[in-house]
Formats: sequence, C-alpha cells, structure tokens
Amino acid sequence: MNEMFTTGLSSEPPTDEPLVSVRDLHVRFSTPKGPVHAVRGVSFDLGRERLGIVGESGSGKSQTGRALLRLTAGNGSINARKMVFDGLNLMRASEKTMRGIRGSRISMIMQDPKYSLNPVLTVGAQIAESCRRHENISKADAKKRALAMLETVRIREPEKVYNLYPHQVSGGMGQRIMIAMMLITNPQVMIADEPTSALDVTVQMQVLKLLDDMVRERGMGLVLISHDLQLVSSFCDRVLVMYGGRIMETLDAKNLDQAQHPYTKGLLNCLPRLDGTHDDLPVLKRDPAWLTEPEHADGGLS
Amino acid sequence: MMIDIKDLCITFGAGNHQIHAVRNANLQVAEGDSYGLVGESGSGKSTILRAMVGINARWTGSIEVDGNTLTPKRTVASRKHMQMVFQDPYGSLHPRRTVDDTLSEPLVIHKMDKREDRIIRILKEVGLGPEFRFRYPHQLSGGQRQRVAIARALILEPRVILLDEPTSALDVSVQAEILNLLSDLRKTHGLTYIMVSHDLAVVGHLCSKIAVMNRGEIIEEITEEQMRTGEVEHDYTRQLWTASHGYDRAALESFREFA
Amino acid sequence: MMSDTTSRQNTGLIAWLLADFPQNAFQAKCQRAYIGWLSFKTNPIAMFGLIIVTFLCLVALFAPWIAGGDGDTQDLANRLAAPSAEHWFGTDELGRDVFARIVWGSRVTLYIIFLVSIIVMPVGLIIGTASGLFGGVVDKVLMRITDIFLAFPRLILALAFVAVLGPGLENAVLAIALTTWSPYARLARAETLTLRSSEYIMAAEIMGASKARVLFAHIMPMCMSSTIVRLTLDMAGIILTAAGLGFLGLGAQPPLAEWGAMIATGRDFLLDQWWVPTIPGIAILVVSLGFNLLGDGLRDVLDPRSSGGQ
Repeated sequence: MNEMFTTGLSSEPPTDEPLVSVRDLHVRFSTPKGPVHAVRGVSFDLGRERLGIVGESGSGKSQTGRALLRLTAGNGSINARKMVFDGLNLMRASEKTMRGIRGSRISMIMQDPKYSLNPVLTVGAQIAESCRRHENISKADAKKRALAMLETVRIREPEKVYNLYPHQVSGGMGQRIMIAMMLITNPQVMIADEPTSALDVTVQMQVLKLLDDMVRERGMGLVLISHDLQLVSSFCDRVLVMYGGRIMETLDAKNLDQAQHPYTKGLLNCLPRLDGTHDDLPVLKRDPAWLTEPEHADGGLS
Repeated sequence: MMIDIKDLCITFGAGNHQIHAVRNANLQVAEGDSYGLVGESGSGKSTILRAMVGINARWTGSIEVDGNTLTPKRTVASRKHMQMVFQDPYGSLHPRRTVDDTLSEPLVIHKMDKREDRIIRILKEVGLGPEFRFRYPHQLSGGQRQRVAIARALILEPRVILLDEPTSALDVSVQAEILNLLSDLRKTHGLTYIMVSHDLAVVGHLCSKIAVMNRGEIIEEITEEQMRTGEVEHDYTRQLWTASHGYDRAALESFREFA
Repeated sequence: MMSDTTSRQNTGLIAWLLADFPQNAFQAKCQRAYIGWLSFKTNPIAMFGLIIVTFLCLVALFAPWIAGGDGDTQDLANRLAAPSAEHWFGTDELGRDVFARIVWGSRVTLYIIFLVSIIVMPVGLIIGTASGLFGGVVDKVLMRITDIFLAFPRLILALAFVAVLGPGLENAVLAIALTTWSPYARLARAETLTLRSSEYIMAAEIMGASKARVLFAHIMPMCMSSTIVRLTLDMAGIILTAAGLGFLGLGAQPPLAEWGAMIATGRDFLLDQWWVPTIPGIAILVVSLGFNLLGDGLRDVLDPRSSGGQ
C-alpha cells in the first residue's frame, strides 16, 4: 500500500479494550408537538470490528450514530450512563475537544455525498484541506497525501479526479471521495450512515469493500447504519436490530437465521427473496410490548 | 399481446450532445402478465416507461398497447388505459390537495360518473378506510401515500399499470405490504404490469419475466426460473445477480464495468 | 402525536378543527388553516406584525369616529401648532389636524395596497407560470418583456407611465403595479420550473390533465404562497413609491391625506416643527414594519416545505 499504513493505528498492538463503549444512551427532542424520545436506553461496545445497526425509519438508528459525535440537532439532548471513546468521556468532553475528535478520530459518512461536499471547491482541494486541518503539514505534502488517498479508495486517474468539482463526479465516485476525505485523517472509528443506499448494487459492494479494507488493514472500528438487514448481515461481524429507539436484539451476523426476536424474524421474512415464490409476503406485525419488555437489549453485554 | 414494443429508441439533447438513452428496445408483455425491467441508474429503464405514458415524446420505433399503436402525442381519452405509479410517495402527491381532490381529478377529466362511490370503493381496495378521504398527504405515512398513488392510477380502470420503483423509498415491512397489494390488484382486475426496479429480488417477486438493461440496451430477458437458479447467459446479469445476494468479498474481485 | 391527545380533551369547534379524520372537504380546509394559525401563533414577531396590520385595517374602517374630523378643515390661525391635548400630533402648515390626517391616510394606504395587490398578483403569476410551464418561444417572449420592465428603475418607469396616464392616485397605483409585477413573474417562473419536473405534475399529465388545468389547478396554488409572502414584504416599497409619486405631484392630489405626500409637504418644517413630517414618517415606518414581520411569519406557515413536516 503506502507509507500511511505503517504510521497509522495498525502498528499499535490490538487490545481487547473496546474503542467505544456506550451504556444506557437516551436522545430526546423537544418539538412543537411535544417531546420525542428517539433513543431509549441503548448500550453497546464497539471494538476493531464491523458493527451494523439496522432498523426501519424512526427506529433511532441514525440518532444513535449522531449521538456518538454529539451531532444531535439543537432541540435534542443526549443522556447516557456512560459514553466513552478510547478512555475519553464523550459526555463530559468540551465542545472544543469534540471538534478535535470529529473528523479526525471519529469520522462520519452520510448518505448523499452531494450535500456533504462543498460545490465550489475541487474534490482534491477538499481532501487536502481536511488533511491540513488535522495535521500540520505543507500544502504540497497534503496534496500528495490526498492523491495517495484517492488511489487507496480505488479511483482511477487520481490526478484527474483531484481537479474535478463535486457536480462532475458520479454518485459512486462521490461517495468514494467522501470516504477518502474521512479516512485521510486516519480515524479510529468510522460511522457510516446509509453510505451506499443511493448507489447501484455493484458500486455499493465496491464501496463496502473499501470500508472493509480499512477495518482489516488499519484496525478501524466501523459502525454501519442501514435499513437493509440482509446487506448488513452479509457485511458486518455483529448486528444490532433497533426498533422504537431500543435495541431489540444483538446478533452475530453469521447467525442471522437463528434470530430469536419476533421483530428481527419479521424483518427477515418480509423481504422478497431471489429464490422465493410469488406468494404474498408475510406482513410484519408490531407488538407494543416490544417497547416496554425488560432490557435484554444490552448490545451483547450481560 | 397487451404490450408490444419494437425498436424503441429514445434520445435526449441534439447534435453532438445527443445521448441515446434507449437503443432498439424490444419487449412483449401478454395480458395479465407482470414484466420486470431491471438495471442500474442511467440504464434507461425509467425512460422507457416515460416514453410509454407520453411524458417523453422524443422516441422512434413502435409502441402498441392493446392493439392500438401509440404516437408520441396522445389524446385525453387514450390516456385512460395506461397509468403509472411513481417511486417517491412524498413527491407524487400534490401537497395542497386532499386525497379526495387527488382521486376526483382523473374522474373529472374523463367525465366519469358516481364519483363519490368510486372514490370510496377504490380507497377500500387499496386498504385505506373512507376516513382517509379528506386527509392531506402530510397527514399520511409513506405507505399510505403510496396506496393513494396506486388508487389514483387505478381509479380510471386502466388495463396497464406502469410501476416505477414503487417500493424503493419505503421501509421493508411497508414494501412487503405494497407488493402484496399490487399482486392482489393484478389478480382481481386482470391488470398488466411493467415494473421498473434496481432491486432484482423485488422485481423477481412480482414478475414472471425480467429484462435486464445496461446503458440503454436490453441485454437479456430472463425467466423466474433463471432468476432463482442464477443460470443466466450474460456476464452483466450474473454480476447483478451476485451483488443482489449481499456482500461477498471473494466475488467482488471478479466485478467489472460493462460498456 | 400531541395533537391527537389534545383533540380528545377539547370539545366543540376545537375538536372539529383537530379531528384526526375530517369528514368533508370543508373541514379539511378549515383544519389546514387552523393548524397554520396555530403555528403562526407561536411566532411572537409575526403576531406583532399581524397586530399592526389588523390595527391599520381597524383604523381605516372606523376612521370617521377615530379621526374626530375630516382632516381637511383648515385653521390658518392655528398653523404648525405643537402636539397638545387638542391636537395630539399637532397641526400642519394649513392648520389641519395631523392626527385626523394620519387616520384618514390609513384608508389611502390600504387602498393603494389593495389595488396594487389585485393587479400585481394575477399578472405576475400568470405570466411567470405560463412562461415556466410552456417553455420555448412562449417563455422567451414573456421573459424578454419581463426583462424590459425589470431593466428600468421603478420610480422612473412609474413617472413615465403617470406622465402618459395623467396624475392621480389610481393612475399612480396603476403605474406602480406595472413596474412591480416583473419580479413576481420571475419568481413564479423559477418555482414553476422546479415544479414542472415533479412527479405529481407528471401524474396529472399522465391522467390527461390539460395544460390549463395543470397551470391553474396544480402549479398556481403552489406558487401562490411565495407570491403572497413577497408581496407582503414588498409593501413598504410600494407605499414609499406611492409617496414619492405623491411628492412629485403625480400621485395623490391635494388635499387628499396621503402619508407620503404629507412628508413631502412637511419636509420644509423638519427643523422647527418636526412633527409635521415626522409623524407620517413614523406611520409609514410602523406599517411597513408590520407588513414585513407579517410576511416573515407567513413564509414560515405557507412554505409547503415546512408544512410538509407537520
């Protein structure tokens, strides 16, 4: 690969200590129509692994990801018994500390690169800028790093792409550029919120492979937030299934077929299958008791 | 044949900037059948639907529906037989109109009688009670909006319904409900469907024959049997089929671009 | 969710307005308006604007009783008197009661606003939406005409029109309207262009809706709100242009109590008898501010993007 990998985190000896540890996370919003409790007591640990968070819209999966970076919108509040990243208490950290963490030690990829890239700067300049913001290096070095990064995310002709503006690149390439921009700072944790749902399936796979490489080669911790249970389970090591702001079940991705919770089973069953029939799909019946049942949803922590 | 499309070519732009969005597409759909069009973005699958309903008039070739040859320009009466359901349930309903307004407009345009009865009956058929009749789109969930969009397409009693990614903006549990509804409606009304999607599994669930499109061309037509087994002719189809099974690191190595 | 619980607690009219399932089209329309009102009510600045505008309307309506005189009666012995218990805002250079003239002037102001609105809105909307929807030659011709009107400074163009039409309040208003509609056409056209490619317009075309139906029933209602907001925000400028024309002797003719004309004639006394030009100035300021605040609040309520989330 290139010299970055030898200086990055991958040189540290792997530890059993989780990168991120969250206990009893709550996110609440006050809206004109009354309070909304978006995340209700979520607990999980993230190691140097691929963790999937799956749920339907309104399940609180995105808000869980945002809360880790304290990026919750202005009318929201975050509470947690514990939210620790690499020995640092994220609940107590000052806004200045958080700014230092965001983008450099914990990065986030959003669904649509179109809204995350600055339209009046070339993509290369944006990657180099992101590099310079976190490290004290010269412009020329930043450009070198940016070009190397573009190559890492499998972009052909990085020199040419470096000088393109965001509207000149395709969706798949835009998302790869976003990933390059997020990875250039060598983050320890990456939160990817539906990074591929706007992309075609084959491109989607290539983008996922890129994230996979980062986990394997650099020991990064990856949180993949998605609505697609099948995709997430084929990609991740562990999957948290969320519903109504709570974790319904935590699964080893390879044991998806052994899912116990009726919600997980319902989600799996209502997906049309390539080898299925034309018969009606089973409809997911939601049980209000899921929102009140005792806490077994501890993210694999007992 | 309910639908018979021959040598359909669709272009955008002019002169040097002319883009051939669809090239020499041929497809036949029997009455009461459900036909799928699969492809990635920019493959021209939605463009075919748009030409069929007459939104895009810049095409050559022949489109025959129910024995009638369609021209780029349509009469109001001819539009009755073919309706369309769109991808985005948030964008396909007028935000300032109640469900009742939305459903009565096609009846007014086509001078159909017993409007109130028809509206209440169609709402019931798509699984919405009469109590939803005077709601605005923002008072409905995504699935309910898509049901209203289906009701709007159905209220003119068309023979053919074109479905443009009707479930891709919905949650999977809602997607299942809408797919069930669509398959029930096809049986009870003897409708003919053409469904466009990027999701092979969704198309495979509803359709018995599937055309795979890439860069404006139909490269292969596969049956539901081939769909289950993956025994397809074209490499592109196989790659699409593999990718639809989820993340597989080993298989990814063989992926390539098809021009 | 909150509205569900409150609707169960309320009775009568409020319950009817908040019912989850409206029974007929009329109830649905009332509900929409009521929910808009509820969200408008939470914005204190917009409410302040609404109070000012309502106050203006009330003053205009009850002018004969509030003014305590016709405002035209001259009392040359008592000219340029300072504000007192008898003349709250003092008297002007002809000894007329400034307070009475301000009150009567509110009618003139409202009259100008009303006339300009009923000309500018339909003209701007129809030209803009038609140009956006039909495109091609129609668009080119209509937009070039719009450009011509946009190219001239508003007051100069208004002057030219008045010179042709002859002086007078109605002609001044007509001239203002003719110079004001062009940005509205631009605005409506821009909105139509984004609406034209939306799926609900496509759906209407597929079901066989004629261009006219698409224009009047689908596109225009969507452009209406931004036009209303813009017009409300423009009111201050319209009032001032009317005043400017009045000052040049081409608008409201004496002795009609028009606020702008009052400032114009009173400006000679600014240093010694400050109230003569200042009071109508304050009146214009307050009314303009009222319309501006109201416009801001209306934008929040009427914007389809923000109401979509309710």
